[in-house]
Amino acid sequence: MNQVLSRRYVRSIPLTNKLSNTMSFHILAEAKKIAKITLAGELDSLSAREFQREIEKVAAEGPDELILFVENLTFISSAGLRVLIFAKQKIGTNLAIYIVKPQDNIVDTLEKTGLQHSVNIVDKYM
Amino acid sequence: MENQTFPATLDSLDDLRDLVRDKALRANLDKKKTYKLMLALDEIATNIILYGYEQAGKEGVLDVITELTGDHLKIVVEDDAEPFDPLQKDLPGETDFSKPLEERPIGGMGIFLTVNGVDSFQYEYVNNRNRNIFIMNIQGTDA
Repeated sequence: MNQVLSRRYVRSIPLTNKLSNTMSFHILAEAKKIAKITLAGELDSLSAREFQREIEKVAAEGPDELILFVENLTFISSAGLRVLIFAKQKIGTNLAIYIVKPQDNIVDTLEKTGLQHSVNIVDKYM
Repeated sequence: MENQTFPATLDSLDDLRDLVRDKALRANLDKKKTYKLMLALDEIATNIILYGYEQAGKEGVLDVITELTGDHLKIVVEDDAEPFDPLQKDLPGETDFSKPLEERPIGGMGIFLTVNGVDSFQYEYVNNRNRNIFIMNIQGTDA
């Protein structure tokens, strides 16, 4: 019953330029590039290929932040984790990765593999 | 004892996880253990499919044998690829996992999760087949 879901787990939202501090005349406008991807269903070594293609597209834009909405992601294998590592290696050390609302089992896996030190696990992304 | 055969392709992973979920439910495993068992099977099956078969240019199957006794659920995955003992591979450890993402070794994570996720993981090579054995204790005291 989850097969349909797991085949269409990824939806990407185009990068947005977010301007901040534009109120003050002496402050430079700072443009931050944010990439957002929603993952739902099960991320295994088959669907990880699709995820990786999305990351490659996003990487071309050179974002500062990668936001992954994963509330409805029910499974992630090491193939999925490797795509996160790939993102950091491809886009650069300065990329901030936010993982929004992961389920408990997924947090466990992130902790067990030490990935929680390199990503930000958050309840919501403003 | 029940036996189910899957083609050795990544498409089978979905069905394999469904099978594990079903057996775990019947064994009354809690959600956490079910997930860990599912993850372990997924990781090992992925290795067999990608490296045992695809990379070797071979086609084949995975036979999944499940056995439920009073105190444990045992799942055995058998394949005809070249002998490969996952336990002989150097596993990444604490030092690797504390490195920044961009400096980490990329391999070994799946086997690490497998070995650390199930109550017992064993490997044997019998009758020209790899046998990867996953055991979860039922109502065990271990986490």
